[in-house]
Amino acid sequence: MTAVLACKLCRTLIRLLGRGGTDFPGRVALKLCPNLLGELAKNVTTVIVTGTNGKTTTSRMIEQSWQDAGISYFANKSGANLLSGVTAEFAVHSSLTGRCRYSHALIEADEAALKFISKYVDAKVIVFTNVFRDQLDRYGEVTHTLEKLRIGAQNSPNAVLCLNADDSLITSLHDDVPNPVLFYGVNTPIYETRVTEVSDAPYCIRCKSEYEYDFVTYGHLGGYRCPHCGYARPKPDICVCKVVLSDEEHSEVVFRDGETEIPATVNLPGGYNIYNACAAMAAAKAMGLELSKAAQSLSRFACGFGRMEKFEINGTDVRMILIKNPAGCNQVLSFLTQRKEPFVFAACLNDRTQDGRDVSWIWDVSFERLVDMGDTLSEVYLSGTRAEDMALRFLYAGFPKEKLHVQKDYGRLMEQATAHKLPVFVMPTYTAMLALRGTISKTYGYKQFWE
Amino acid sequence: MELNIYHLYPDVLNLYGDRGNVLCMQRRLEWRGIQANVVNVPIGEKFTAKDCDLIFIGGGQDFEQAVLLDDLKGAKTAELKAAIEDGVPVLAICGGYQMLGQYYKTWDGQQCDFTGALDLYTVGSEQRMIGNYMFTCEEAGCNIVGFENHSGKTYLGSGVRPLGKILEGYGNNGEDGTEGARYKNVFASYSHGCLLPKNPKLADLLLKTALERKYGEAVLPPLADEFETAAHNYMEARLSRK
Repeated sequence: MTAVLACKLCRTLIRLLGRGGTDFPGRVALKLCPNLLGELAKNVTTVIVTGTNGKTTTSRMIEQSWQDAGISYFANKSGANLLSGVTAEFAVHSSLTGRCRYSHALIEADEAALKFISKYVDAKVIVFTNVFRDQLDRYGEVTHTLEKLRIGAQNSPNAVLCLNADDSLITSLHDDVPNPVLFYGVNTPIYETRVTEVSDAPYCIRCKSEYEYDFVTYGHLGGYRCPHCGYARPKPDICVCKVVLSDEEHSEVVFRDGETEIPATVNLPGGYNIYNACAAMAAAKAMGLELSKAAQSLSRFACGFGRMEKFEINGTDVRMILIKNPAGCNQVLSFLTQRKEPFVFAACLNDRTQDGRDVSWIWDVSFERLVDMGDTLSEVYLSGTRAEDMALRFLYAGFPKEKLHVQKDYGRLMEQATAHKLPVFVMPTYTAMLALRGTISKTYGYKQFWE
Repeated sequence: MELNIYHLYPDVLNLYGDRGNVLCMQRRLEWRGIQANVVNVPIGEKFTAKDCDLIFIGGGQDFEQAVLLDDLKGAKTAELKAAIEDGVPVLAICGGYQMLGQYYKTWDGQQCDFTGALDLYTVGSEQRMIGNYMFTCEEAGCNIVGFENHSGKTYLGSGVRPLGKILEGYGNNGEDGTEGARYKNVFASYSHGCLLPKNPKLADLLLKTALERKYGEAVLPPLADEFETAAHNYMEARLSRK
């Protein structure tokens, strides 16, 4: 297996050079052996997590439940979620003869890459989180993303599909495949106050009539039904039936599996993480794990990089929350606007390929809601290659100029943002998150992302 | 003084942050003590142009286009065309721009008829024209920066003139160097970004046109525009270096 060896060598070399090479080694290996992934994944029980938002967090939750169940597994943790990156992950976790050292693999797959990965990997379970508008320059509109996911599902005849019952787009995947399906959903609104957002799917995916909603959780998610053709939210097989509490540190929820109620604490705040937790429970159910145990795992999983990740810098709490698209960003704002204590906010906007080259989407985010918080939001810092565009967005949202500070140097940004002795919330796009984490690890001694 | 800004189809033509253009016009009026009333005209709502001082139309997803065209044909199209002929200023972006033309022909020959308000048409191509781009605009007196993302190639007839000349990127069709369209008080462009906030001179040109049409004369006191200029200049410099 020259390809496996080449892949391993590449990755070792790149890490020795001090860079997080997650993609390149896989590309080298695929050149040498195009069916490498198929060979490596052949005898591995694989669970794939895909969709626009929540892939990483859901994967970390599932991972914890596997750890607690004593499953032998590996996961693609460093964000390498394209065909090449996934191939590399399988390669480095296999012996030189191509045998995987673990019985299970937990794979986060980019929503556009699933259709390629699924050609080689015969998944046992695929968890679909949601479809939202995201990086339109890369994925196009939501129905295009949905079609790519559909091909992925069609490539996976042996997989149990865990589908988000509240997402009318995701649920439609059930229409074209004979696979066993497990629906999960949230039966109750998750925010006390919710502002109206742009819906990414207001018209029926089957007949193009406008949906009616019994309730909305966020975005286009909720209890939808089409008055014309009858397409409607299916009854979930596992659901969140009650949100007991949702504060700045965590959420307390009750799951229902048939007649059984299972209380759980989710150790990440934010309504969208309640969805991720529900997706993880669906995966556990599909795998036949003990659900009460899987629910306990939700209270102690380690969050992914930049997903509400916590740092202490200059004696100040810093939380980093990755942003990618309007739906996700609005969710973060729903979380932030619940705060009563003063805080400092920083947004880092990059426009490289992985961030989305088009920054127009920031105008679809309701930053106006932060203005309504008054002095609870003490200062705003804008950074990243497109800091000026972000500053402009905040100005037109209605912030006074004096509150807005453009600082493109990440080192100085962290110094200045933490100098107010108030908690700091940083929202970076993907490559800004990597760069910012790099600065933080170099200056304040935190771990690099591939460690 | 006040302006009534009509936002056509905010419920479906709401892709790529184009609604920022409405917010931008609203703020730039308010900062000058002029009242701005935004009127949303979604699918199913009647459109009467009588009190309308300015029209905005953005771009949308293909999926909802059939629903929209159904709603637009007939009375709404007639009202929109009459308003345009009457000199109501219009800003139309991307899909909204294409819709003001005569038709869209897909690359495999299917034709979809549009409003025909402007003498132009669009032909689909397999190549997508994506990226930051820049064009000169004599009327605005500056270069305009933005982001284009379209597969339709638009060709102008003799009844309209381009909004500007491409300096970097594709523009209308990637072939003739034109970008956008001008007809009476219609300003149409492929530019997202979104367009007006970081091109304040173009924003003010639109507002001035609308105010002059309504009140005969209008002076727009200058604004500081440091943030606007910074965002504009960053992209202008980046594209000039290419």
